[in-house]
Amino acid sequence: MGLLSILKKMKKEEREARILVLGLDNAGKTTILKKLSEEDITHIMPTQGFNIKSLVQDGFKLNVWDIGGQKAIRPYWSNYFENTDALVYVIDSSDRRRLEESGHELSELLNEDKLGGIPMLVYANKQDLMHATPADEISEVLGLQGIQDRVWQIQACSAKTGDGLQEGMEWLVQVAKKD
Amino acid sequence: MKLKRFLLRYYPPGIVLEYQRRNGDLETKSIDLLNLTPETDVEVLINQIVFEEPLISENKKDTLRGMIYKLMEKIDNKDSQRFYLFKILRAHILPLTNCAFNKSGSKFITGSYDRTCRVWDTLSGEELLTLDGHKNVVYAIAFNNPFGDKIVTGSFDKTARLWDANTGQCLHTLKGHHTEIVCVAFNIQGTHVATGSMDNTAKLWDVDTGQQIASLEGHSAEIVSLNFNTDGDKILTGSFDNTAKVWEVRSGQCLHTLAGHRGEISSTQFDFTGDYCITGSIDRTCKLWDVNNGQCMETLRGHTDEVLDVCFNTTGNRLVTASADCTARVYNVMTGACISILIGHEGEISKVQFSPNGYKIITASSDRTCRLWSVETGECLQVLEGHSDEIFSCAFNYEGDTVITGSKDNTCRIWKDNFFTPAEEEDQYED
Repeated sequence: MGLLSILKKMKKEEREARILVLGLDNAGKTTILKKLSEEDITHIMPTQGFNIKSLVQDGFKLNVWDIGGQKAIRPYWSNYFENTDALVYVIDSSDRRRLEESGHELSELLNEDKLGGIPMLVYANKQDLMHATPADEISEVLGLQGIQDRVWQIQACSAKTGDGLQEGMEWLVQVAKKD
Repeated sequence: MKLKRFLLRYYPPGIVLEYQRRNGDLETKSIDLLNLTPETDVEVLINQIVFEEPLISENKKDTLRGMIYKLMEKIDNKDSQRFYLFKILRAHILPLTNCAFNKSGSKFITGSYDRTCRVWDTLSGEELLTLDGHKNVVYAIAFNNPFGDKIVTGSFDKTARLWDANTGQCLHTLKGHHTEIVCVAFNIQGTHVATGSMDNTAKLWDVDTGQQIASLEGHSAEIVSLNFNTDGDKILTGSFDNTAKVWEVRSGQCLHTLAGHRGEISSTQFDFTGDYCITGSIDRTCKLWDVNNGQCMETLRGHTDEVLDVCFNTTGNRLVTASADCTARVYNVMTGACISILIGHEGEISKVQFSPNGYKIITASSDRTCRLWSVETGECLQVLEGHSDEIFSCAFNYEGDTVITGSKDNTCRIWKDNFFTPAEEEDQYED
């Protein structure tokens, strides 16, 4: 990667999209990204900064920025807002206790000018766990139905098994291409 | 004209003469000893200097001899030099970007995604100052060496800031760029600072007033590299538009466009004399250019992937290229011949630097290690292990006895060698 590659990924290119992946700590952002790029997901540490991966989907290159979600570093999420084409917000569906906190962070993001109007995919992750909240219930708790200023989609998924990940990315590319 | 005193410059070796004009003005000029080696015949050299330099008379020969021996001692290669981990600095809460020493090596600075630049004491590893004020990533940083009393920081928040290196006070905020600032440099005289941006322009600023002096416009893509020459009268910029440009500081005019690369420029540098410069490119080559006419003198091939960093040694007779192909290559600047290939890293090399005396090279890699290499044999002398994520930056201090490494793992590490002693004051020989 290196600093120069980061600069290259920051610039706008044809047939490329910059995807920002956010969500609370332990939501599974890095695991989703690694699973999508077919990497080993057995030893994943909390992200202290960020990871960047390039995924190719339907001839379209997605430069995906996965940003650490711990509370202390959430104020720095705005470092990465510039030139974002789509937002992926990841939720740990099994963590009912923190659903409210997650919803709060999401509503803050949706009010950000620099992210205004861009498509959003919500991954309702960890659906493989028994007590996971179903996607439609999460949608209700977060009040997603009320979002008028952008296209959005909620996708039930499991980063562990890979279920639902591909469907989410296909939706994302389809809306990113329209831009 | 009357000679007042001598000053020694270790790297590249040279003797600076401070003299007084008839009208009382103090001026300096330097005798560059770029070809000095531990095998140089000192008596021949002394006679040559006395013969060619009217300021130095016969009776200065003993002083001259003493200084030359000191310079030779400084460039002597220490075979048994080994670096060990001295301190791990964990003050940043997000990945580091770049790091840099002041001239004496007593302090260094680190930039970070946490929007701060921190000033550190090299000897103790203590954090001296936090330069707080930027609203986004602090990406590019520099001391105004050799003075070391000011710092410039370039940020993704589109501004650069000038700081007092001793108090941490922000002296000026340099506003004018439209997008991220990704490279900064002081001229060696300390009067100007230059900033390069993703907005395709470079800008020149007055250090005292913080006012913009010139906007260097002409590149058609992001500027990612920028350097002053030693005289401080030219600036070199490297761009994602596949060209580099040489600009005149005085007028802000573009003197030459260095065109020929078939991919984005990744890195640029002037040699010490300012007669030549090099450009590294994504097209897998490095080119050597004549600064005076803008002509390409040599295209250095061999890498099998993108060239990510290029660097001259302090005297300018060697250059090194670092590549995404996990190797670095050392070239003889005069002949263009590849002298050695540095093989061993298991990830791309994003940063490379010569030790000040020119015998060693340090490389920083995405394989989470830095390596030290012998320039002439290409042998890997040491692997600096310990970072838990890729290393973005590394630097030697001027003495060559300390190395700092900055990583995506949010830490900076100080490595000292087995000869380490606290930095000496600059040598002066009073007349």
